[in-house]
Amino acid sequence: MEQINYTDEGQFFSGHVACAGCVEAVSLRVILNTVGPDAVAVVPPSCTAVICGGYPFSSVKIPVYHTTLESGAASATGVKRALVKKGKPDTTVLCLAGDGGTYDIGLQALSSAAERNEDILYICFDNEGYMNTGGQKSSSTPVNAVTGSTPAGKSTKKKNMIEILAAHRIPYVATASPSDLNDMAAKVKKAQGMKGTKVIIILIPCLPGWGVADNSAVKIARMAVESGVFPLFEIEGGLDYTMNYSSKNGSVKEYLSVQKRFRHLNEDQISSIENDVDEDWQRIADKAGV
Amino acid sequence: MTQQPPTPLWTNDTSEARMTGTWRSAMPNYKNLPSPCRGACPVGGRIAEWIREIELGDYKKAWTILADNNPFPSIAGRICHHPCETDCNRNQLDETVGICNLERFVGDLALKENWSFPAPTVSRDTSIAVVGGGPAGLSACYQLRRLGFKVSLYEYQKQLGGLLRYGIPAYRLEKKILDGEIQRIIDMGVDVHLNAEVGSAEALKELHEKHDAVYLATGASRSKNLPGLDYSQSWVMDSADFLAETNAEMACDLGKDLVVIGGGSAAMDVARTARRLGRNVTVLTLEPEDKLPAHEVEVVEAKEEEITFVSGAMMQSVEVNGEQITLKCIRVEFLQGEARGQFTINPIPGSEFELVTNGVIPSIGQDADLSRWQDLLNSEGPVISTDKQWQTSTPGIFAGGDVASMDRFVTQAIGMGKEAAFAIARQLAPVSNETSSPDDPMVPYSVINTSYHSTLRRHLAANSEVEARLQTFDEVQQPLSHDEAVAEASRCFSCGTCILCDNCYLYCPDMAIIKLEDGYEVKDDYCKGCGLCVAECPTGSIAMQEEK
Ligand SMILES: Cc1cc2nc3c(=O)[nH]c(=O)nc-3n(C[C@H](O)[C@H](O)[C@H](O)COP(=O)(O)OP(=O)(O)OC[C@H]3O[C@@H](n4cnc5c(N)ncnc54)[C@H](O)[C@@H]3O)c2cc1C
Ligand SMILES: Cc1ncc(C[n+]2csc(CCOP(=O)(O)OP(=O)(O)O)c2C)c(N)n1
Ligand code: SF4
Ligand code: SF4
Ligand code: SF4
Ligand SMILES: [Mg+2]
Repeated sequence: MEQINYTDEGQFFSGHVACAGCVEAVSLRVILNTVGPDAVAVVPPSCTAVICGGYPFSSVKIPVYHTTLESGAASATGVKRALVKKGKPDTTVLCLAGDGGTYDIGLQALSSAAERNEDILYICFDNEGYMNTGGQKSSSTPVNAVTGSTPAGKSTKKKNMIEILAAHRIPYVATASPSDLNDMAAKVKKAQGMKGTKVIIILIPCLPGWGVADNSAVKIARMAVESGVFPLFEIEGGLDYTMNYSSKNGSVKEYLSVQKRFRHLNEDQISSIENDVDEDWQRIADKAGV
Repeated sequence: MTQQPPTPLWTNDTSEARMTGTWRSAMPNYKNLPSPCRGACPVGGRIAEWIREIELGDYKKAWTILADNNPFPSIAGRICHHPCETDCNRNQLDETVGICNLERFVGDLALKENWSFPAPTVSRDTSIAVVGGGPAGLSACYQLRRLGFKVSLYEYQKQLGGLLRYGIPAYRLEKKILDGEIQRIIDMGVDVHLNAEVGSAEALKELHEKHDAVYLATGASRSKNLPGLDYSQSWVMDSADFLAETNAEMACDLGKDLVVIGGGSAAMDVARTARRLGRNVTVLTLEPEDKLPAHEVEVVEAKEEEITFVSGAMMQSVEVNGEQITLKCIRVEFLQGEARGQFTINPIPGSEFELVTNGVIPSIGQDADLSRWQDLLNSEGPVISTDKQWQTSTPGIFAGGDVASMDRFVTQAIGMGKEAAFAIARQLAPVSNETSSPDDPMVPYSVINTSYHSTLRRHLAANSEVEARLQTFDEVQQPLSHDEAVAEASRCFSCGTCILCDNCYLYCPDMAIIKLEDGYEVKDDYCKGCGLCVAECPTGSIAMQEEK
């Protein structure tokens, strides 16, 4: 059995208010301990903001700047430039945002920062909806998923944010999953060592938002990876694709069926999702030469 | 009016001030529960633990754990009927872990390296007599010596081993292995008396007077007789005698073509032994081929060795014409009864046929000779009756193995010997010996997170080529290579045995698990009771427990 091999250096504290069993907290733990003490976090409103904060307490050892939902990447840019001016060019600036703050409300700030290739490490915790506000849809919500604002299921498909980012030709874009913490830590480490804009999108099965059991988020993230719904891959310089988990042996149907938000799907909807998964997978595999 | 700039808010403490553990309704509990293989193992072996040590490369530790319950891993690793493999959780993913082959790997290494048992740490004046030096008696000797008791062993034959020596053929169990594993026990300081029959109730009573307790393990060595067969004829030979003589390398003067009567494991041993002596062998069984009491693999291997099976038939009479013996047989309808070994047969009229042969070896089972203990020990059906502690109707005399049980397997005998030794010890001295509570549930497959386990196929031990087999009595089953054994060990889920993998610790979203020197502890101030640690445990070693 492969051992999980990052060490907890005490960068993330107990007593935070993430839901019981939340894998965003698990991922934060990996990221913060991998990035280490010489870092500053910039956090727009999101579950992450709730988990990190709760005035007057902080669950994060490094300094955290809570910014607005529109301006995650812009604020991170400012913090980074200020640190450089202050003679601390090596301090890592992390931007920790949700999918709403990345795919929707913070997109123009991120796109501009990426276009300027600002030296920030941007992490998107993609729980496929506006979750800390009670579970509304975002443009990351997958097709047919029920959310508070799409009670009959979302009619449009999930935005392909990864390839939007790749189109900016930034040094590094990657996906990661809480079902593979070694892969996640390795990607964070790799990105931290690069200059310019780096983005890692992490799939976070949301327990209340997706309608799954408290102990199941890792399992569901694993199913997403193994079924090909959420492939693990990296794109360097916008063009160079690598797949990190190159077999597709899980069932899409099973992945869907364990989540309440997909409970109403009919066979046609399921097979259409299966087709999309196959097509997307094939396109990435072709680019990665797998 | 000039606007004041907003005052920045600074946090002044860490979130550890918040006791989020109050959210919880259940908490994880580290509990090393028994694996199902252990539950099925007749000696109660800590299989998950010693297999883990093979994977880690500490073979001596593996052997030490193994030998805790069974001083005969090399023997059991060859001939145990391995019920552990039937119950192995890995069957539900692909195929059982090759527990028995691994046991042999460790046992053989111990013999090769000359590892010996440590001398007892205490020494007591209490003395125990063990009657019968088969697996049951020897296992009791071993456990009693470990507990520091004085042990005297009385064996009727001129060598120890019981059926391991005089029954089981060398092509399944090399004598060198047997000698090695027995010697190691004797070296612990057992006072051995060979050619020492304890043949009557009187003699047993006398022995009991000289010792503080007696363990009777005389086996079941009297062959059942086949009605209608005259055992005094030169062309008939009882199977027990046949095996004992060939095991002692004595010549066999039965003719060229032989019929073995019986479909059990012993009959397979007889038939395959006769093949190695250059005979043509036919096996005649009452049972149809799919209901033979012998294990399937024994039948397969017998057939590979060109043994002919005539199944679902019985001998009715015999006609002798010089060297030529004609068995008049008839096909039968075989109806399995409720209990093991119970059946009815209906001859099928008009289905008569003949088998022409030069000799017959009946092999239809063995009985214990109970009449000799009649005045002293009560019996129950074909065995001596005992209570749950293996004590007979005479206090202070215990019994086990084939003489006291119909569970007639080597490891059953070893397990019974161990249990009786502990029972004797409890009666005679204040000894502490840990036994896991039988109420503990076995770790079910459903709690094993299989995504952490490789999808490796089983590494099966190979058999030698059929042609080579028929030339000698060399062992058929070959050992696993070192690499195969280590790879096979890695297939084990370690059910209920924490492997210190840190998954629970690193998957806790709340940093509520702390690492200790040799395990983990849950901080109840922060554990929210999500159960993620339990879900991501690869071995099923933690469980959620409701809190009031
Ligand atoms: C041919 C054959 C093949 C078998 N193959 C297998 C197998 O592959 N796997 C398996 O698990 N089981 C097998 N068995 C069953 C297994 O051998 C027995 O269940 C097991 O040996 C029983 O152990 P025991 O110690 O009770 O008796 P035994 O092995 O019979 O030992 C009893 C000992 O007591 C001695 N003794 C008897 N009477 C006296 C007396 N009055 N005074 C002093 N000493 C006495 C005997 O000489 C003998 O040494 C086989 C049995 C047979 C017959
Ligand atoms: C401009 C703006 N609109 C709306 C909000 C209210 N708001 C705060 S967080 C949030 C949801 C953010 O969703 P996401 O980024 O996906 O984070 P999650 O809560 O899912 O972690 C919203 C709508 C806001 N803070 N600012
Ligand atoms: S997987 Fe290992 S511990 Fe579990 S039942 Fe099988 S042999 Fe025993
Ligand atoms: S993962 Fe942590 S919080 Fe969840 S049950 Fe286990 S110890 Fe408690
Ligand atoms: S997750 Fe690993 S370390 Fe934790 S109890 Fe299970 S086997 Fe032991
Ligand atoms: Mg979100």
